[in-house]
Amino acid sequence: MTDLLPRKAPSAPAVAQVPQRRRFRHLPQYLAISPFYILFLVFGAYPVFYSLYLALHRWDGIGPMQWIGLDNFALLVTDAEFWNAIGNTFIIWVMSTVPMTVLALLIALGLNSSIRFKGLYRIAYFMPNVTSVVAMAIVFSSVFSTEFGILNSFLSAIGLDPVGWLTDPWGIKVAISVMIIWRWVGYNAIIFLAGLQAIPADIYEAARIDGAGPVQTFFRVTLPLLRPVMLFSVVMSAINGMQVFTEAQVLVGDRGGVQDAGTTMVLYFYNMAFLENDFGYGAAIAWGIFVVVVIFAIINWRLIQRPERAEVSR
Amino acid sequence: MTALTRRRFLAAGALAFALAGCASPRTASPGKLTLWYWTRGLSPAVLDEAAVRFAGAGFDPANVSHDLRHKLLATMSGGAYLPDMTMLNDDIAGYFGDADQFVDLNTMGAQRLRGDYLPWKWEAGTTPDGRLLGFPVDTGPAALFYRHDLFAQAGMPSEPDDVARAVATWEDYFAFGEELQRALPGRYLITDAKTVFTYSMAQEPRKYMDRQGRFIGDEEPVRRAWERALSAVRKGLTAGYFDNGSTTGSVDRHAAWTNGTELSLVNASWITGEIKESAPTTAGAWRLCRSPGGPGNQGGSFIAITRYCPQPQAAFEIVSWLLSPTNQARHYADVGIFPSAPAAFTDVTARQPDPFFGGQITADVFGESAKGVQPAYFSPWDIDISNCFTDELVNVESAGKDPQQAWRDARSAIDRLLQRSGVL
Repeated sequence: MTDLLPRKAPSAPAVAQVPQRRRFRHLPQYLAISPFYILFLVFGAYPVFYSLYLALHRWDGIGPMQWIGLDNFALLVTDAEFWNAIGNTFIIWVMSTVPMTVLALLIALGLNSSIRFKGLYRIAYFMPNVTSVVAMAIVFSSVFSTEFGILNSFLSAIGLDPVGWLTDPWGIKVAISVMIIWRWVGYNAIIFLAGLQAIPADIYEAARIDGAGPVQTFFRVTLPLLRPVMLFSVVMSAINGMQVFTEAQVLVGDRGGVQDAGTTMVLYFYNMAFLENDFGYGAAIAWGIFVVVVIFAIINWRLIQRPERAEVSR
Repeated sequence: MTALTRRRFLAAGALAFALAGCASPRTASPGKLTLWYWTRGLSPAVLDEAAVRFAGAGFDPANVSHDLRHKLLATMSGGAYLPDMTMLNDDIAGYFGDADQFVDLNTMGAQRLRGDYLPWKWEAGTTPDGRLLGFPVDTGPAALFYRHDLFAQAGMPSEPDDVARAVATWEDYFAFGEELQRALPGRYLITDAKTVFTYSMAQEPRKYMDRQGRFIGDEEPVRRAWERALSAVRKGLTAGYFDNGSTTGSVDRHAAWTNGTELSLVNASWITGEIKESAPTTAGAWRLCRSPGGPGNQGGSFIAITRYCPQPQAAFEIVSWLLSPTNQARHYADVGIFPSAPAAFTDVTARQPDPFFGGQITADVFGESAKGVQPAYFSPWDIDISNCFTDELVNVESAGKDPQQAWRDARSAIDRLLQRSGVL
């Protein structure tokens, strides 16, 4: 086991080795960070480029691929179902994000006030975010069920007409949105709460001395100071909203329900690639989704940038 | 002895890692004969017995449940970790284009067993150029499931033979239903328009494509099924519960079985387990009879042997034993999958009176239906095409879409589908 003994430091010849060594001087550091890059290359970069290659082919997943050039993309831009899926995704995103943000803010304000069992409430509101969506879908479909759902029996009880939540195109969108809200409201409330607690108390004190009422304080102090946090939450919900899949699939099935009202972009992609075994077209849809998300990100970015630019010019 | 240094240790580790990475085996567990099946796809008791019986050959059944198709596609395109044997569902025609990925069971001597199985089922597992790709597992013969107690309460025929006579055709069935619904307001004859379409098509010998790959969905069988489904909706006979195949899509339907809102349904044999599980309180109230319009089949699986199986002959021995007429009767008794071998219909194991159906011998009803099914050609796109039609029927039924527009939309969806697939 001589090798484990400390070696003597090399003397004179070391000087000659320096240029050779310099090249590999950072090797240990590169090696240390390499796992991420290797995994990224294998599981991140390679599939991305391969999907582009795949989009130019017709492939059923088993046999040989057939080169068809841009045919898949030509089909995609004229595919009414894909455009419908884009529309659905955005409608569901708006229908879920707007009420969710308001609700999360109210909950955060409530949690920020001096109440008892704060920790318990925080856990309770965060629970939906870590609950299995599929398990919850079973509960939700009992809530939204047309004939025997809790919601419809409640509507009938107060003298309103029952709604075909899962058989009406708008009902489906509402049901999916409610499920998204339910899942993410607690998460955003916790984020908002952190933002609220980061607002220094002396600003509120100054506002009170200046004679601001609670409503004024909220709109003039709390909301502006929460803006970065709210932007974060909107960006996060946009990322999630563009990828809505599970909620729609478990509530209305793979085919997207009546008049494809529940077909989101990702659900449509899943349908084509994994249910109809058309992997080439599936890949083309994935790139279509990519383009939509890029455009959306640019719009988002410009909207976020604008107020600051205005401030600077002022 | 060479000293263990850190460097050597790391080098050895890297080498082992690299070797393991390169040498991914062709089959899922080398040295064994793996069978991929899904839950309730085969009887656990029969599989256990096979594992003992074929222990020498290394028989190793593995339950991969409902992800089977995705896993199979992934392993096939990767060419590694393939099962030696695998169950395939009724979308078997989708694999015909890649039949070279499977063993032609005829080369294993399957022909000598041909006479034991239903001819149409055998044909459904055979590729257009005559290779036997899938060995018959089960079938999905259609029958009319109905509520005996409620039929009797309405003063209508309620014994299986009488009901079968009264609802010989779909038109008779609808007329019967109108009368029934007048006596029992608030209840429905049948689930939805989709059921009517699907089971009408299940009775037709010509489906959506012909053997030359031409689309024939504009012709009589499909038109007839479409009109029939619409007429059921117009007459107000469908509940529109809209079983969309989602995890939870059938909440309403299950409730309707329990509270008797759904008076009857035309369905394949495999629904029996679901009815028993979701409406246990209705035990004894159900009966079965011949489906209106005659025998039909919907669904049913196969077992195929993949190309890389090192011992296809041994694998074939296992498959043919697992699916022998005697064992098919056991599969039916244990997990409710209906046999594809006529000898199993009369097997005492399969012919147990079922108390859920008032002591009726269900195998007799399904067996009659299974024997009457006519051979049909299924194209790889049949299921997707059928979905295009039924999606639009749902739109008509649930959202009040104009039927003519619905037909046009279904047709254009199918055109796009076939265009994408390179058929048009």
